[in-house]
Amino acid sequence: MNYNKENTLLYVENLSVAYGDKTIIKDINFVEKDVIRDGQVTGQVIAIVGRSGTGKSTLFRALTGLVKPSSGKVLIADTKTGEGNDAKEVHEGDIGFVDQKYTLFRNKTVYQALMFALRKKEMSDEAKDKQIMTYLKDWGLEQAKDQYPCELSGGQRQRTAIIEQIFCSGHYMVLDEPFSGLDVGNIEDVKNAFKLITSSHEFNTIIYSTHDIDLAVELADSIYVIGYPEVEGKRMPYGSIVKHIDMKELDLAWKDFGLGHLEVVKQIKQVMLQS
Amino acid sequence: MKKIVTPFEQVSKNTRLLIVLGWLAAVLGTWFVSSMGERHLFPSPKQVFQGLAELYNEGLVVHIGSSLLLCFSAIIIAIIISLVFSYLSTVPLFKPIAKTLSRLRYLPLTGITFYLAILISDARAMQVWVLVVFMSTYLTTSLLSMVNSIPQEEFDHARSLGCNRWEVLWEVVIKGRIDYVIDVIRQNLAIVWMMLVTVESILVAAGGLGFLIKNSDKFMNHGRIIALQIVILAVGLCIDFVLDYLRKAFFRYSKI
Repeated sequence: MNYNKENTLLYVENLSVAYGDKTIIKDINFVEKDVIRDGQVTGQVIAIVGRSGTGKSTLFRALTGLVKPSSGKVLIADTKTGEGNDAKEVHEGDIGFVDQKYTLFRNKTVYQALMFALRKKEMSDEAKDKQIMTYLKDWGLEQAKDQYPCELSGGQRQRTAIIEQIFCSGHYMVLDEPFSGLDVGNIEDVKNAFKLITSSHEFNTIIYSTHDIDLAVELADSIYVIGYPEVEGKRMPYGSIVKHIDMKELDLAWKDFGLGHLEVVKQIKQVMLQS
Repeated sequence: MKKIVTPFEQVSKNTRLLIVLGWLAAVLGTWFVSSMGERHLFPSPKQVFQGLAELYNEGLVVHIGSSLLLCFSAIIIAIIISLVFSYLSTVPLFKPIAKTLSRLRYLPLTGITFYLAILISDARAMQVWVLVVFMSTYLTTSLLSMVNSIPQEEFDHARSLGCNRWEVLWEVVIKGRIDYVIDVIRQNLAIVWMMLVTVESILVAAGGLGFLIKNSDKFMNHGRIIALQIVILAVGLCIDFVLDYLRKAFFRYSKI
């Protein structure tokens, strides 16, 4: 499938995070560019996989600016300048973040939460209302408009959390294990949500983690495996990227799950077990 | 029948009602039996009803009003002080102050009363401030625990939506936990209500239920004492019920 890579959208260099004396992640480096395909809007879908405790959540907190890196930097495209390759250091609020529990404000209804997410946008109240109602309709949340988080199902909570972040952040969204604890129907909902996000803007970039390798391979066009790296024959106690698989280069991206995908799943599992 | 003595067994609504009625009958039965005869530990139901009638004629309602007024005056001041310190505990500079206030709950009331007596001359104001000092320490302890138990995810969520730190405090801790504050007041009310009666009986000012107990105690009128205890319990339970009702009515999302 033909595609081009253009502007750099995400640049992570020598990223390390330590809590006190304990280093959680170290020497994380990766670059993601805007993928252009003829005739269609193609956002980026990046999967991060790895065994529990390897620092995926810490990496996400660093990527979203919620935790200050001990060293290194995270740069994202500064799309507001209009210049092609302008970059800026990430700060909290620049990248949307949906955690495993789909946290929402417990005291705000779906509508109030979305209105809050739009509070900084320079739009009239009517325009905000219109935008909210359009999203609620498109994402099947019309009936839940006036419900509080405690009255929503897991899938509804997740969709609300995603829309909140779409409204508030720019083109980036990080989702920590968006598929955990969901039934088949909800998983389909999340897949559709991914499609909606990536098809709405070229720069839209989803970064997500999952323990379901099949889903990582099926949805992502770039996959990073986090594990404990081996340096000079010795296993390190911190997490780092141990393998990168570019599904575009393998000509497996944006295609239905097939034998090629199965081979990648096998490879990833092997790397995970070894690290 | 075997079900009602089996741990973790679910019983029907009717069975639950029968159990409650059974216990109530047992308590009343014990009361009647233990208060029969010439010499008895508890006053008989008749004596209690007599005591209640006497109290009513002597202005029981006014005394309840006085106690409630004292309770509300103290609780409003105490909750404002406790909330300010608890919310500010999220700021590193003020955290030690909030923690110290919480630890002051181990101070004996007598010592506090002594110093307050030097500062305040009016008996009613003295009652209010003794209660305020006492309650603030307990309320701050509970409110600090409430603030500390907020999951990190809620703060991260607000930050990811571009809230600055003060907005996080406002949205997550202050606005997001108002229902918890009501519940904290409700939970601490039992201690407050108990202390209120003690404070009223030590520092006589404008009457109140504590004052009535002290007077009845002086004349060894057991019927009146038990009648007053029942009134105090009933008023306390009513306040508890009203607060719980208000929390559920105003905060639909509150599932504490």
